[in-house]
Amino acid sequence: MRIKSMMGMPTRIECIFFSEFHPTLGPKITYQVPEEYISRELFDTVQVYIITKPELQNKLITVTAMGKKLIGCPVCIEHKKYSRNALLFNLGLVCDARTNTCSLEPIVKKLSGYLTTLELHIGSIHMLVGSNSVLFFLNYESNTIHLKLIQLRKDPPIVQEYDVPVFTQCKDHFIKSQWDLTTQQILPYIDGFRHIQKISAEADVELNLVRIAVQNLLYYGVVTLVSIFQYSNVYCTTPKVQSLIDDKSIQEECLNYVTKQGQKRASLRDVFQLYCGLSPGTTVRDLCSRYSQQLQRVDERRLIQFGLMKCLIRRLQKYPVKVIRDERSRPPRLYTGCHSYDEICCKTGITYQELDERLENDPNIVVCWK
Amino acid sequence: MMLNPSDGLPDDRKSLYPQSQSSAYKCGDKTSPISVILVSSGSRGNKLLFRYPYQKVAECPSSLSAKQRNPYVLNTSGDELDDQDGDSREQSPLTDEQLVAGFSDIVLSTILATKSDMCGKKFELKIDNVRFVGHPTLLQHPPIIQVSKTDPSPKREMPTMILFNVVFALRANADPSVISCMHNLSRRIAIALQHEERRCQYLTREAKLMLAVQEEITTTENGSPQSPFRQILPKCKLARDLKEAYDSLCTTGVVRLHINDWLEVSFCLPHKIHRIGDTYIPPEALERSLKAIRPYHALLLLENEKTLLSQLPLDCSPALIRLIKTCSAVKNLQQLAQDADLALLQIFQIAAHLVYWGKAIIIYPLCENNVYMLSPHANICLYSPLAEQFARQFPGHDLPSMLAKFSLPVSLAEFRNPLEAPTQEAQLIQMVVWMLQRRLLIQLHTYVCLLVPPSEDEPGLRDEDPPLAARVGGRSLSTPSALSFGSPTSSDDMTLTSPSMENSSAELLTGGDSPLNKRMTETLLASLSEHERQFILNIPAAQNPEDLRMFARLLHYFRGHHHLEEIMYNENMRRSQLKTLFDKFRSVLVVTNHEDPIISIFQSPMD
Repeated sequence: MRIKSMMGMPTRIECIFFSEFHPTLGPKITYQVPEEYISRELFDTVQVYIITKPELQNKLITVTAMGKKLIGCPVCIEHKKYSRNALLFNLGLVCDARTNTCSLEPIVKKLSGYLTTLELHIGSIHMLVGSNSVLFFLNYESNTIHLKLIQLRKDPPIVQEYDVPVFTQCKDHFIKSQWDLTTQQILPYIDGFRHIQKISAEADVELNLVRIAVQNLLYYGVVTLVSIFQYSNVYCTTPKVQSLIDDKSIQEECLNYVTKQGQKRASLRDVFQLYCGLSPGTTVRDLCSRYSQQLQRVDERRLIQFGLMKCLIRRLQKYPVKVIRDERSRPPRLYTGCHSYDEICCKTGITYQELDERLENDPNIVVCWK
Repeated sequence: MMLNPSDGLPDDRKSLYPQSQSSAYKCGDKTSPISVILVSSGSRGNKLLFRYPYQKVAECPSSLSAKQRNPYVLNTSGDELDDQDGDSREQSPLTDEQLVAGFSDIVLSTILATKSDMCGKKFELKIDNVRFVGHPTLLQHPPIIQVSKTDPSPKREMPTMILFNVVFALRANADPSVISCMHNLSRRIAIALQHEERRCQYLTREAKLMLAVQEEITTTENGSPQSPFRQILPKCKLARDLKEAYDSLCTTGVVRLHINDWLEVSFCLPHKIHRIGDTYIPPEALERSLKAIRPYHALLLLENEKTLLSQLPLDCSPALIRLIKTCSAVKNLQQLAQDADLALLQIFQIAAHLVYWGKAIIIYPLCENNVYMLSPHANICLYSPLAEQFARQFPGHDLPSMLAKFSLPVSLAEFRNPLEAPTQEAQLIQMVVWMLQRRLLIQLHTYVCLLVPPSEDEPGLRDEDPPLAARVGGRSLSTPSALSFGSPTSSDDMTLTSPSMENSSAELLTGGDSPLNKRMTETLLASLSEHERQFILNIPAAQNPEDLRMFARLLHYFRGHHHLEEIMYNENMRRSQLKTLFDKFRSVLVVTNHEDPIISIFQSPMD
């Protein structure tokens, strides 16, 4: 049986079993589908993790043994009606030992809770125990429950005010109604050029809310972050730029993305030359004047955007550091090497040029590019 | 210039990776264990012998209320199950200690002392947010004591231990490679303990001590409840060893134990050692890099030669010592092999070993043509510990100013000032080495790619051509491809093949316009499409047969994966020759500069 995850990658369940503590026989597997899947040997080895001591009940337990992984949640229902005054059972799944079973845990929990409810309100497990219908029922159910398998992803980075969100896929594929109101409100302003602060101002949404909404989109891979575009920006190539030559799919994607609207498709050579023309010390403006012929069919803003999204190029940011100061002056707050021009301009509201003018004439300040 | 750039390095290991670690113990750190537990199973049943950190006895999991919440705990997402049915339980995030403290000794002994079927294999058990990993090990049964039937004295059964398990508790969302490493350590400790048990019943004796203390404490407590494990520490060497293993894993990631003061167990957690800032270099990426190093690379030690030598065990290989003593940032591995009088293969092996243990990194040997630039991950903050160290090391200079000089790519030659004293130059080299060791600089190399302008009349056809890389494939220029290694200290895991440096162009005869040469050039150009070949042949420089021959010979390097220095090394050519060639054929070549992806892993963490 396969359960399709959100990503479309199947996690194969090889067996479902129902185990309980029999009043005379002790821990046993009452039913399993397919039959005889769990050998007596395997069960003997792992039974202590299936029918457990009270301390471990209601916990999700995954044990690996003999090439198999068993995931279960032991339950105990106490009542005088049961012999030994308690019903101990565990509904579990079995997979291959190499499977990543994190996504199955909520299912096990859910099924375990479901059975508990059934038993408490209807006493049905016990009734059904006589017949084989328990597992047919479950099998049927599992095939139709649309269980959302949560793929654990990496924590997204913090979104700064000077970051620019850009859609990783075509915006038209985006189903607005799936998302919360804040996200819906800022969506029209995500164009790959507006930075967070600007989006907040224009969409009239509080800055932190915008940050959180974008971080959420980032988590699901719907957007990625690039830096603010200016013609004075400096970029340089990364080793990944070679993938434009090696990887046909990235090539196609790139050429389609960067070609100017209504123009014939740009040539690979032109685009590659443009990327390679980016280097420390060269601004985008310089690139435009040097490679004007190559830029006839290429939109330079989209070129930069694509390059950043696919990590073919990276931005070189300027960091001012105040290295010499006399005893009397206060320690530098922003010129410590920890804050880029982007950040300083965003926070203080002055333009790049103004900041440049201020700092260029200050002998105590050095500027590092990285 | 015979320099030992490693002179004058700070001995403190921690300061080499200063970045953001302010506290050694990071709550919620996914690469540190939460607890170490030793259990055994035998004739007396399952016993928990030792655990660390030990819970305070007064604390009982059900009484954990919101106000006992540790203010330093990190609210890690993904731990709590999002119960979609709506009956979400009120859960205050538990600290690491509380996660495992919630398990009583008895329960732990039941679940961790496995059945003998599970012995000799990796043991992995996940309970809610905790993952236990170990390697349960069977002990040989000691000879059965035959009690005579006529013996009136009561039968005394010698309590025997059948199996034991050294278990590490981790956060459930720990990386699989971390889990694998912890299992490895558990297995090593188990092997050592098994050995010592066979030799002198070491484990049985220690276990007896541990149990005795536990019994003593529970029977004599009446005042303040004390953890019996606290009392065990001063009495049991094994307990101290386990505590030390845990502490080391949480801090430096380097474990060195002497079980029974006799057997050494050493281990390192690459995730702690190979850290840059908050991220670590995954071991697989490290291995990939190490397999790709070439004889023209160099080994840069990250520690003082003296410090490094003092850390080595007494019975270490003399080759290792020789290598460390001969090693230098200006020497490539091939030269190092010659100077240390070792086979190149051995050099690769030892170098990989040193890199794995975080004692060295791979760089391109220092020379004046090297071009360096600030690493994007460099910490250039004015108040960083690095800045402080730099100022101490090189009085009169400050780090930010020095770093600013590398804002634009700059070659070492550009720093040369004929008016300066030679000591200045030497100091500059030292500073560059210092910065390389601390991952502040990256080296840029020139890469070349062949891209012929598309023909005007048939643009469609142009798009059909697969890139040159795909067509000129199949020529491997990589080094010992089978340099694989698992645990660094067990040499049986290392397999080697001899480095293959395919230098197939050697067969081309130099000089003259012989028909043989002409034909060879044609063959080499055969992999190009008709359009490409025509275009190249029409370039003015191609009219010169020598130049064309050189171009054809080097064609397979022009796919953007081989930098200038590599071509120079493989083809025994001078930099100026190559640069001139690139210039002559610039209408079909695209040149760019970036870091070497093979060794850039040492400067930047994986994206």
